[in-house]
Amino acid sequence: MMSRDVIDIKAETSELHTDKMWVIMGPQHPFSHGLWTLKARLDGEIVVDAEPIIGYLHRGWEKECENRTYPKIIPMADRLCYAASMTYTHLYCMTVEKALGIDIPEKAKYIRIMADEICRIQSHLMWLAAVGTDLGNLTVFLWAMREREFFMDLNVRMCGARMTTNFPRIGGVRNDIDDEFAMFASRCVERFEKAIWDIIAMIDDSSVFVSRMKGTGILSREQCANLGITGPAMRGTGVDFDVRRDDPYDNYDKMDFEVPVLKEGDSYARYMVRIEELFQSCKIIKQCLQKVKAIGRNAPYRLKVPSKVPAGRAFVRMEDPRGESMMYLISDGTDKPYRLKVRSPIFVNVSAAKPLVLGSRIADVPAVMAMIDMCLGETDR
Amino acid sequence: MAKKEYLDKYPRNPARSLWVMKPVSKALKIFFKTIAHRPVTILYPYEKMWMPENYRGRPGLRFDRCVACGMCVKMCPTACIKLVDTEDGSGQKVKRPQVNVGRCAMCGYCAEYCPVDAMTVTPEFELAEYTREDLIYGPKRLAYEGITERMEIHLEQTLMSDIKNGNPERRISPFKTDRPVLVEAKCISCKRCEKVCPVKAVTMVEHGVNEKGRPILYPEFNNDTCICCENCVEDCPKDALYINEVL
Amino acid sequence: MAYSSILDWIQFKDVMSNPFYPFESYNLPFDLSYKIWELLGGLIAWLINLIFPGNGVSVWLMSDEISNVFALVVFMIIIFLVVFVVTLLSLWMERKVLGRVMDRRGTMIGLKGFMQCLADGFKTFLKENTIPRKVDKKTYLWTAALIIGTSALIACMIPLSDRWFVVNYGTGLLIIMALFALAPFFILVSGWAQNNKYSLIGGMRAAELMISYEVPMLIMIASTCLLAGSFNINDIVNMQGDTIWFFIPQIIGFITFIFCATAEAERVPFDIAEAEAELVEGWQTEYAGMKWGLIMLADYLRGYVSCAMVVIMYLGGWLIPFVSGGVNGWFPEIVFLLKVWSVFFIMIILRGALARVRTDQIVNIGWKVFMPLSVANLAVVLLLKLGGVF
Repeated sequence: MMSRDVIDIKAETSELHTDKMWVIMGPQHPFSHGLWTLKARLDGEIVVDAEPIIGYLHRGWEKECENRTYPKIIPMADRLCYAASMTYTHLYCMTVEKALGIDIPEKAKYIRIMADEICRIQSHLMWLAAVGTDLGNLTVFLWAMREREFFMDLNVRMCGARMTTNFPRIGGVRNDIDDEFAMFASRCVERFEKAIWDIIAMIDDSSVFVSRMKGTGILSREQCANLGITGPAMRGTGVDFDVRRDDPYDNYDKMDFEVPVLKEGDSYARYMVRIEELFQSCKIIKQCLQKVKAIGRNAPYRLKVPSKVPAGRAFVRMEDPRGESMMYLISDGTDKPYRLKVRSPIFVNVSAAKPLVLGSRIADVPAVMAMIDMCLGETDR
Repeated sequence: MAKKEYLDKYPRNPARSLWVMKPVSKALKIFFKTIAHRPVTILYPYEKMWMPENYRGRPGLRFDRCVACGMCVKMCPTACIKLVDTEDGSGQKVKRPQVNVGRCAMCGYCAEYCPVDAMTVTPEFELAEYTREDLIYGPKRLAYEGITERMEIHLEQTLMSDIKNGNPERRISPFKTDRPVLVEAKCISCKRCEKVCPVKAVTMVEHGVNEKGRPILYPEFNNDTCICCENCVEDCPKDALYINEVL
Repeated sequence: MAYSSILDWIQFKDVMSNPFYPFESYNLPFDLSYKIWELLGGLIAWLINLIFPGNGVSVWLMSDEISNVFALVVFMIIIFLVVFVVTLLSLWMERKVLGRVMDRRGTMIGLKGFMQCLADGFKTFLKENTIPRKVDKKTYLWTAALIIGTSALIACMIPLSDRWFVVNYGTGLLIIMALFALAPFFILVSGWAQNNKYSLIGGMRAAELMISYEVPMLIMIASTCLLAGSFNINDIVNMQGDTIWFFIPQIIGFITFIFCATAEAERVPFDIAEAEAELVEGWQTEYAGMKWGLIMLADYLRGYVSCAMVVIMYLGGWLIPFVSGGVNGWFPEIVFLLKVWSVFFIMIILRGALARVRTDQIVNIGWKVFMPLSVANLAVVLLLKLGGVF
């Protein structure tokens, strides 16, 4: 990766005078998945400066929460991230439970993390689809979307909705899962573990895909730490940290899974980390299904919780598919929160846009930014 | 599949860097597969996806079961439900919910929090209309043919005290446990709770007379018919009632 | 003059006996158009003769010279219509095959989705002719016209068989190649004229793309011509019939040429000039409505020409192996088109399987992979020629 200074000196000292131009990509540009803009300054085809602009989707989510009772925020938390709706709902419920100081039943914990992992697979498949289109191949897009559809069906069987699931509740989950769902889930996961190899062969065995991803968008560990990048983008640079393992919430400490870490720090490493996470998620879903079966049909899955939260503060963090998301709740003892703050991983990760694309060609900008896995619902809130 | 297996299966050999035949063969494989079988896509208006019974489409209403308690209105996160005056089968004026489906988020809260299971979810999702007014579903239009058991969503919760007492398998609806409680010192005997109660569970019972000689009436709640809709609590002008939450 | 029967005017004369016959050998589309003109012109001449018996116009219409002129007009329409329908079929095939590769159905409206192509074309024709205010209007229009025009011209110049051609040049392949290579220049100028940064980058990329594949492509054309000993398309195809299809001695060149032809037609993986992920639609960004529809048509015409060149140079043109003899036994045109579509099928599968390469990578591939391969191919051809195999 060339630094900005080198290119500036080169451009000024060359006899041929060239103008640098700003190219504005987004929010109607096909490269931006969602409403955001990347202003890129180009010297020929090489990016010498970049600036991400977000805020087109701001809808006052946090302020809106202050006017709602606690259960009514759950459907809104679904809308924070359309690709993985369970995770934010789960996070919100955990935050309120922490403020209430209650411990939810074991079965609910397992169902929740299973729902989380289903959503993680959905989200990663959507990211895979986006990588396909950003690199100019629609086949990967449709194959990944096809695989995602099976997990959507699992969502429907679980709670009756495909995307905005509204499934976790304060004190447990909305409904119990039955044996039929367990059968379908295990079959779906087994099928997926075979079918994903088609997509991997499409990308990993293709010299075009690999050469487009290898060596582009390199981040170092130090840059990761300075910019506060989390999630697969961070694990691709060699930082071995995962909230699920290192600060376990719900029942992740009882699960057997690995955290993939790669040292290269380029787009390909991020791709490998996410693909590996798909397999780990499948592993966790299988374990959860066994545990739920072992707990038994009649075990409690939802606690009755008081409608008013005692005055106090609660802070919870969790591993979102895209990084580390956090919620901070201040309660004043009524049935509505006084303040609810969301820390979205993408809001922080998008600040890496400039160091990521600097010095690369304009053709690499979509490929590099796809590895961040933009989700504007949670970024702008 | 572990990372090791992944790397074993996909070793990093430099010969792969010029190789494009594997994706081409995969593409051809799917091509011939979908020629022989059908593709996974469906022809939407003619074929439809399988939907489970508890699919959360638009809300449905069983007119006769509804008691107009307004619980759905309170719980709706998008405020799309409203109680409107209508006539029931015998010509009597009653209140029933009307749903603005254009604002509905299909969250299923109205069905979940309905104390009498009159509101249900329905698998109907094709709701496009020509005008916004057409999207407002009145009480009669909300009816759905063939409501089954699984479309009703029951609110089943376990009490924390039950778990402590070693009875974790009991699931009970909060509408059966929570009851309004009167703070007698605040009550002014206005009888408003009796008027707003949708199930007539409140009776005003005389407790002597006050210094002016008027009777002192305190509400008494029938535990069997009360559905914990909190209407009396909300309408009490002196905040003399509160809900006793059993945990 | 007495009443003359219509049969006096329509005689279906042998086209070759016409002293002003414009071709050197038998030409099937001209024969067809000559007969069509005899029908049409004979009808008109007969009607005029009914009203004004013995006039000179009727005789003039059916004279040898004028018949040729009108037959040539019909000939042009026939040639273009065939190319147009072939292109629409290619488009339809791309949609269906790509759909199946992606596990979906492709277009479904009318005749298994074929009518969708016509409907899309019709839709673009109905759209408003929008021209952005700040473009260089003249350049914006003439570049588009030339891109479409040259593409249509070379598509029409591809012979479907030794009896279905427009001109039978001695240097046929070279002329097609020369016209084929013109479009990137117009794309460059058009991208400049559009006053749009995406278009500008797209135009630059078209030039960048051209310098990377054009030279190896020309070397491979030269080796084929060396092998055949002629630039004439008929000679090249007949040579393959006499000896062996050229893709066997030139297997390196065949594979390389397919990729070069893909780049020439600006298809995935080499569609960097209109890379929709980063440059909205590349150099086509500011073209709207009918202009865009025609540019799309030109894209598919160029795809057809690329495939046709592969077929002519390596796959034996309109010949079937082990079948020799005259043109009466079978339809060489159909054979040729089937071969073109099977090459196009390979291109579609490539599009379905591969992603878009980067600009520096295409230059790398062009000069470090295609160029040595094409030189190696040339060496093989020279050895074969010197060894007396061909």
